[in-house]
Amino acid sequence: MLPKNARREEVLDRLEEQGGLKPGVVQRVHQETGVPEADIYGVATFYHLLAEPDVEVRVCQGLTCKVLGSEALMRDVQSTGTSACYASCLGRCDQAPALWRAHHQEPPLHTGLTESHSGLAIDLENHKKYKLKALQKLLAQGPDWVLGQLETSELTGRGGAGFPAHIKWRAIRGQAETERYIVLNADEGEPGTFKDREVMLRRPDLVLEGLAIAAKCLEAADIYLYIRGEFQGPKQAMRDALTRLQETGLLDGLNWHFVDGHGAYICGEETALLEALEGKRGMPRMKPPYPVEKGFRGKPTLIQNVETIACLPAILRQGGEWFRDLGKTEAGTKLYCLSGHVRRPGVYEVPMGSTMAELLDQAGGVDGNLKAFSPGGASSGFLPASEVDIPMDFKSLRDAGSMLGSAGVVVLNDTVDMVEASLMQAVFFEDESCGQCAPCRIGTQVIRQTLERYLESKDVAVLAHLNEVMWGMGEASICGLGQAAYWPLQSAMKYFPQEFGLEADSAND
Amino acid sequence: MADGQFVIIDGNELSFEEGETLLQVAARADIEIPTLCYDERLSPAGACRMCLVEVEGSRLMQPACSFKATGGMVVRTQTPKVERNRRFLLSLHMADTEQDRERAEDANPSRIFDLADVHGTAGCFPKVEQKRSGRPQDVNKFIEFRPERCINCSLCTRYCEQIEAVSAITLAGRGAETTISTADAKSLTDTTCELCGGCVAVCPTGAMTEKPALAYGKPEKELEKIRTTCNFCGVGCQLDLNVDREANRIVKATSPPPGTTVNDGSLCVKGRFANDFVHHEERLTSPLIRQEDGSFREASWDEALDRVVSGLQGIADRHGEDALAFISSSRCTGEENYLFQKLSRAAFRTHNVHQCAAT
Repeated sequence: MLPKNARREEVLDRLEEQGGLKPGVVQRVHQETGVPEADIYGVATFYHLLAEPDVEVRVCQGLTCKVLGSEALMRDVQSTGTSACYASCLGRCDQAPALWRAHHQEPPLHTGLTESHSGLAIDLENHKKYKLKALQKLLAQGPDWVLGQLETSELTGRGGAGFPAHIKWRAIRGQAETERYIVLNADEGEPGTFKDREVMLRRPDLVLEGLAIAAKCLEAADIYLYIRGEFQGPKQAMRDALTRLQETGLLDGLNWHFVDGHGAYICGEETALLEALEGKRGMPRMKPPYPVEKGFRGKPTLIQNVETIACLPAILRQGGEWFRDLGKTEAGTKLYCLSGHVRRPGVYEVPMGSTMAELLDQAGGVDGNLKAFSPGGASSGFLPASEVDIPMDFKSLRDAGSMLGSAGVVVLNDTVDMVEASLMQAVFFEDESCGQCAPCRIGTQVIRQTLERYLESKDVAVLAHLNEVMWGMGEASICGLGQAAYWPLQSAMKYFPQEFGLEADSAND
Repeated sequence: MADGQFVIIDGNELSFEEGETLLQVAARADIEIPTLCYDERLSPAGACRMCLVEVEGSRLMQPACSFKATGGMVVRTQTPKVERNRRFLLSLHMADTEQDRERAEDANPSRIFDLADVHGTAGCFPKVEQKRSGRPQDVNKFIEFRPERCINCSLCTRYCEQIEAVSAITLAGRGAETTISTADAKSLTDTTCELCGGCVAVCPTGAMTEKPALAYGKPEKELEKIRTTCNFCGVGCQLDLNVDREANRIVKATSPPPGTTVNDGSLCVKGRFANDFVHHEERLTSPLIRQEDGSFREASWDEALDRVVSGLQGIADRHGEDALAFISSSRCTGEENYLFQKLSRAAFRTHNVHQCAAT
């Protein structure tokens, strides 16, 4: 029961303004917002950027950074007397091992990119920008035409779930409630993933135009851009682009709200993101109801990933069919992030369903001998080198027991111990579990501890209970984080059983 | 009931009202679904996952505490998968809190073990490293939080917010470090907490417990519950005195289950914690009459009441009835207050009567 007139949605911003969880801050924010002190404390302690305000440097311990030397980097940083801590993936896998300094201007990052050509939907290297042609086309042809093109294009959500975009859009159009919201999910944090960062830096015009199209089409006036807190550069690029595009007058009637993330991977889960927007702890909601029906402030809300939104202008400009036919096995081109043991890490836009081997070519080949790869973020687990010809699309990877996810591809050579790699992913999930439901909160701990014990003892008996725990996490966790948190371990045991002291196939039941 | 709307739970065709959850529909038909984080007075958290059931057409099991019934839904609450999940969770909680029942129930009973009696476990998982912080510096005299027992069900924080509207405690931290805290981990007495002890009452594992009872050192299960009416005020809350028969001692007071008495599972600080006067050595057990020299002597009730009557009548005779005023205690019930004003108006013919809780 929130006191009347309490302004919960302001809590996170106010905590940020006051420099995070420092003495006296909780009380001040309580006085400013009317939200109970305990609630403010509960919120502040959930988000690492607020809970640990005195940490100057965060060293990335994502899989890529870990295999490329984050421990040595941490030692270097600490030797200078700087206060530092490890952070989950910072979204700079192409710069691995990476670190992040709070309140520091980041230098421009150099990353591998696909050369500009006419067969790309996003085309990061294209410099012909700010035309808003697709938006003008929408205004001329109307929302039904847009929905038709969207359906023809077979565009699916690029954030990880691969859900057909037009179904979400139609569901919102069908709601009786007319107060609706558009939310951009730019809380990129999946280990191995840094595509949204590049899209916002290089093609903010496409993202903003896509959002405007969504807002006009779904008759929403307010657009919220939830951008990962560490992405100050991309946020500035978006703000600058917005100022430029607003001069055209075509964005009139739309209200743009920039909201910072505060260091919680789980807020990339759409309902956790909504909780964060409402000033709460970012714990995923139970579904149903889905956000298209009851989202931000309980109203119909479209939440889409940056890359998905950035595909819209090309779809409307060139037609849904054009976009669909760009893909090999599924629709469109796709941004794949390549990092780890590759020669030219970067963000490559290639036809959806290109094989892993083709992606490796784009990234200049493997550094060393390919052993395994993680196709789409931590949750996707590992595939062995023998799967290098697999089409990197949603269906093929799902059929292989993995997933495309965010297409953050981490490449591992034969210097990597798969038990250690599994442990790196286990540490990530334990750190980033919201703690709400028991299977995920405790299960991620069990996995991490078991792997540590195994590495120490090499005694296969310590793995005995794992199958039951993995089963329960998959069946009983509230959200996708817990449901997939054991995939790295399970897949590593399946494809590299000998490293776990197991007979081949014994981990497949 | 919605017209012709039925759900089928374990083969039983059950009618339901719009908006009802599977747990509510099942409970009406006496189909028991185990829960750890559910309280009918609170919004469901869906966090413990004990109440997951199979719903036809749904890939994953669904939480009965929050999943709404819709017409034609087919639900199964006792399949091998459902039971396997229950056993998995109970083993998981034990590994995360306490695996030995006697130690787990050193003060309060543990619902984890009660459920394990019914559903079994998935065996003994290796002990999980405990990362929840407590508040050892909390100086309040009544409520102890033992983080190593906590299952983060959030019953206490939801109770504090939704029933008491106090919001003194919150879920704090994240992931394995998630714990129950006050703002800045202050003592409860430095917060909005009213020490009602509702957090203790709703806690399924004894993570929230009573400091005095903990110091006394006898598990709740060995105490006898004696139902009585709280006499601190006129509301009439029912409470259970938890009595150590051997020592003839009240160890603590607990609230009867929600939905069974007027106080619906709640008590205030007095009802729950202010019972030490019962065994206090200075407690008055018979009337005392002040003597000429100012000292007291024990007297019978008859003698004491006669003394009161003669004193009051003497004042009325000497100074008139309106020289008297009657003020009743807030501990009086409505019936007692009625009799009290009768005494004032009929026996002493004055309207000077008031009740101390009326201001």
